[in-house]
Amino acid sequence: MKVTIKKWTGVATWKWVANDDNCGICRMAFDGCCPDCKLPGDDCPLVWGQCSHCFHMHCIVKWLQSQPVNQQCPMCRQEWKFNNK
Amino acid sequence: MANIAAQRIKREFKEVIKSEEVAKCAIRVELLNDTFTELKGEIAGPPDTPYEGGTFVLEIKVPETYPFNPPKVRFVTKIWHPNISSVTGAICLDILKDQWAAAMTLRTVLLSLQALLSAAEPDDPQDAVVAKQYKENNEMFQITARHWTNVYAGGPNINKDCDDKIRRLADMGIEEHQARVALSSYDWELERATEQLFS
Repeated sequence: MKVTIKKWTGVATWKWVANDDNCGICRMAFDGCCPDCKLPGDDCPLVWGQCSHCFHMHCIVKWLQSQPVNQQCPMCRQEWKFNNK
Repeated sequence: MANIAAQRIKREFKEVIKSEEVAKCAIRVELLNDTFTELKGEIAGPPDTPYEGGTFVLEIKVPETYPFNPPKVRFVTKIWHPNISSVTGAICLDILKDQWAAAMTLRTVLLSLQALLSAAEPDDPQDAVVAKQYKENNEMFQITARHWTNVYAGGPNINKDCDDKIRRLADMGIEEHQARVALSSYDWELERATEQLFS
């Protein structure tokens, strides 16, 4: 028997590899987006701190902007530093 | 109200309802409007404290900037505690002020308040009169706090001596709560309380 594939449609799934399911700031799923965005993915990326905690980028930036002094991780209160690795 | 605040409160509300503390009747929240800006909280007085057996009602107001700013929380139920104003119910707790973090939730706030009832910080008082009694006459503080829990929070421990003294002042035409405040502030010494009320 010989099968000839005439057409195929590829389907892929993606997910963020984070240490939690939800963003600790907005409480929305990481695989979704922050409340200000419409589409998940590269338009609403996740960022990690050096403390290993992870948030929607838009959420952590808003949090840091609301903290004029002592910019700390909202989870563990260590000084917040972006992990650029 | 900003989208993020309402959406988050919606999620948190479900989270509290499902939490095991609710199952144990230790905390509760109720929505007061459909914009998620005002809620009613309830915490049970922790065991082995003068607040045991009482239910304390809290007013929770969620600012538009939540969760980047803390919710505004106040005791509606009158309470005798060094870090809570016996007059206004205002709370002195660091996480409701400068130590707030966006990852905190209604659930963790209610649990922190419950912990505050178990472990007062008399050196950082909201009510100086209560804090002074707590430090200088702790036995009297326990009696007073238990009595207030009985009268205002439905606690089980009736204190006949306190009730009698309040009745004595009430017979002189003093309003009951005013009499209770005066007696509480003067370690239940009837004479000093009377003197203060009529001076």
